[in-house]
Amino acid sequence: MASEFFKKTLDPVIALVAIAVMDIFLFVIVGAWTVGGGETMMTGLIAQGFMGDDLKRLPFWNLVFEPDPTYWKIYISLGMLFGAFVSAVIAKEFYIRFPRRMSEWVMITIGGLLMGIGIRLAFVCNVSTFFGMGPEMNMGGYLAISGIIAGAWVGSMIYKKILEG
Amino acid sequence: MSAIGLCLVAFIFGSVVGVLVQRSRFCNTAALRDAMLFKTYRNTKALLVAMMILTIGFTTFITFGEGNPMYFDVGLNTFAGLFIFGVGMVLAGACTVSTWVKTGEGNVGALWALIFTFVGMFLFSLVWSANYWPPAPASMTGEPNLEALQLGYANAATLQEKFGIPAIFFGLIQAGVLYLIYKAILRKEAGQAESHRMAQAKSATAQPAE
Repeated sequence: MASEFFKKTLDPVIALVAIAVMDIFLFVIVGAWTVGGGETMMTGLIAQGFMGDDLKRLPFWNLVFEPDPTYWKIYISLGMLFGAFVSAVIAKEFYIRFPRRMSEWVMITIGGLLMGIGIRLAFVCNVSTFFGMGPEMNMGGYLAISGIIAGAWVGSMIYKKILEG
Repeated sequence: MSAIGLCLVAFIFGSVVGVLVQRSRFCNTAALRDAMLFKTYRNTKALLVAMMILTIGFTTFITFGEGNPMYFDVGLNTFAGLFIFGVGMVLAGACTVSTWVKTGEGNVGALWALIFTFVGMFLFSLVWSANYWPPAPASMTGEPNLEALQLGYANAATLQEKFGIPAIFFGLIQAGVLYLIYKAILRKEAGQAESHRMAQAKSATAQPAE
């Protein structure tokens, strides 16, 4: 059965039902699933590695996110990386692949920058939007969902333009 | 629970999520982009099912004063930030989850997106350090602060407090709305399958004439 699991593609509905049930447990223990906060903390820790105490001169890293390696949200991201790696290796789906065209590299670079800026401006990421704030019926969840749908639509239009050349 | 204990719980949660997302190829970006661009709903349906379960689960615990909802003020920045994020995730072809999962599969493009997410966050920290907006969670009041374009704080727990109606009641309404969207997608898919069959039947009957 275990080998079957790593041979066939799993129905995303089944995967998401399992994730939702685990997310409810996490919500009761500490808080709903989130990724952006952990990524911000990693950014702070990496920046601290490069800049040392100079980072403290930026108020953001004193008042909002003080670099702390024991911040639990970091380990959700590292867990996802680890789980996906193990799963891909068992399923023989792990191989190093690169974007082929220059245009892809440019789009990924701009896209990544926009994601980072967006997360910090909103104080939430897409995971908190759909798997945290939205189901908590937080007013911010509705603002965030409207925002991400509008953004994805604009992004899709740009993407379509680029695809059609 | 101790900080280390929480980190361990988070790591185990993340690992299982990583396996499930890797096996199912679920992607939040695809859930929105594919529905808009290609009218396919594989990921959208999964997202809606998860949100229904979570809404009922979270509001049940909130009804009894349990659980840890997110607490900070929201406002224009929440909409604007996720708008920027939405554009970015479609261009990058990955969301916060799939960048980690695809990096784990050996996708260098996803790792590149992740690195630039970090760079974007650092750039924003420079801007924030100059203008202190949006307000840090520590300085938030929970009340609307229109000067800072903040609307305050409200969720299922505050609704319960304000109206004296259990949070689960509001949760069931939200889950019902999500279910209606889900049903509408199923109807649309049935329609797509029907027109696909008709087109096939048409080409089958058209062939002998050629």
